Amino acid sequence: MHIRSLFYFLGEALKSVVRHGWMSIASIAVVAITLLILGCFMVLNYNVTSLAEDIKEQVQIVVYVDKNAGEEARDELQSKLVAHPELEEVRFVTKEEAMERLKKQMGDRAYLLDGYTEDDDNPLRDSYEIRTKIPENIPQVAEEVGKYPGVGYVDYGKGIVEPLFQFTGVVRWIGMFFMVGMAVTAIFLIAHTIRLTVYIRRREIQIMKYVGATDWFIRWPFIFEGLILGLFGAILPVILIQCSYQAAAEWTQENIYFVSLISPQLIGTEVAQLLVPLGVVLGILGSTLSVRKFLKV
Amino acid sequence: MIEMHHIYKNYGNDVVVLKDLNLVIDRGEFIFIVGSSGAGKSTLLKLLLREIIPTRGSIKIFGRDIMRIKRRQIPFFRRNIGMVFQDFRLLSDRDVFENVAFALRVTGVPAKEIRKRVPLSLELVGIKDKASKRPDELSGGEQQRVCVARAIVNRPAVIIADEPTGNLDPNTSMGIMNLFQEINVRGTTVIIATHAKELVNHFQKRVVVLEGGRLISDQERGVYINAH
Ligand SMILES: Nc1ncnc2c1ncn2[C@@H]1O[C@H](COP(=O)(O)OP(=O)(O)O)[C@@H](O)[C@H]1O
Ligand SMILES: [Mg+2]
Repeated sequence: MHIRSLFYFLGEALKSVVRHGWMSIASIAVVAITLLILGCFMVLNYNVTSLAEDIKEQVQIVVYVDKNAGEEARDELQSKLVAHPELEEVRFVTKEEAMERLKKQMGDRAYLLDGYTEDDDNPLRDSYEIRTKIPENIPQVAEEVGKYPGVGYVDYGKGIVEPLFQFTGVVRWIGMFFMVGMAVTAIFLIAHTIRLTVYIRRREIQIMKYVGATDWFIRWPFIFEGLILGLFGAILPVILIQCSYQAAAEWTQENIYFVSLISPQLIGTEVAQLLVPLGVVLGILGSTLSVRKFLKV
Repeated sequence: MIEMHHIYKNYGNDVVVLKDLNLVIDRGEFIFIVGSSGAGKSTLLKLLLREIIPTRGSIKIFGRDIMRIKRRQIPFFRRNIGMVFQDFRLLSDRDVFENVAFALRVTGVPAKEIRKRVPLSLELVGIKDKASKRPDELSGGEQQRVCVARAIVNRPAVIIADEPTGNLDPNTSMGIMNLFQEINVRGTTVIIATHAKELVNHFQKRVVVLEGGRLISDQERGVYINAH
């Protein structure tokens, strides 16, 4: 495409956007609302995922060593755990260490444990705290490790892990579903606007054909118009989300100190990186649809 | 330059618009296509623009079989033909200059070239002083001159006009026909479809008469004859 033509197309597209002011504003608004919902959803999804990630990182398997296990069984257990390909971290916690932790946890009431702390009286067991490389594999690995020699029993916060992963999974699916539905709506709205432009400019198009403008020369301004509508429709929600998320993040930081939201800068970039190209693609798709269907060139 | 042999044009199976038409037009000719309304004049012009294709027969323009022109090439083919319409088809949202410049802009002519060529074209049709007026500020005759200026601005080999005086009074019509003659004198082939009998007879040019889709007369220095 010649640079001169590029300016011509952009100029024509902009003129058209301005000339059909209300229609343009309406379609930009609809695209903006669509992308705004999408963007909000994305922010929510990111934070839920990050929260889930936080929780996941705290999820570990505790393998309690059988009290009656002999040296041999203990050695075998250790070497099997260390060699396990799906494990990331294997930490041995002696029952003395476990007792110390318990005391710390109980704080003021640690005196209750007096009389259990001596080695022979210690009711706790030696254990291995292990983490899997992929948190979702915890239940499966736990079951496998449970069958190793010298294992008393295995504990991994069953009942928390599975629902959590299910929840994040469902959130993602609903998200996908919404985004696809919204995108389709936006495409059709832009297509409708461009169709109107094609109709309004039908005279011009006819003359263009008579004087020998190429089909692509006739099409480009409409495609650019869709692109502009999509771009403006994306920029608005990006700004809006950035500003309101910034405020929300500051508020949360001051008032709910234990929840840490993803940083606004990161969210801003991520949202812009998704919405702007998406707006442009939606715009182009919408106009292409219209141009193909209604622009008989 | 234009050769039509045994041209038939049907719409569907029943509507026969042109029947066995033979016509050869040389470079630099001035030719009237006449006939009553519905005789097939516009259809004939549309064939020359390759807006439609014949049902049967062959058309050669500039030595090329129009059936062999690919879709992609049609715009470039049309740049050799200037079209003038009965209803002028000007764009009401821009001035005269821009209406004429439009034909160049949309065919990718540089702005510098446009600034040079448009005034020349406006001068030739005699409305140079109206360049910044909008079409609705002009008389019918002036609007038609703008349309002619737009048709000739990219220097086509042929000008095709379909009832160019259909919306004009007799005096103005004479002026427009004189303009076409001037353009013809400068070397451009001019083909005019019309049913303005007096005008045609006045100019004493080649006249092709269509009736019911048949070519019934083709005479040099002809007159508009009616079969009945
Ligand atoms: N697209 C079409 N479909 C069917 N009939 C048509 C079409 N175009 C023209 N005709 C018919 O062809 C005949 C000739 O039309 P036209 O070439 O416009 O005549 P003229 O220009 O001489 O008045 C008319 O009877 C008209 O109804
Ligand atoms: Mg006609």
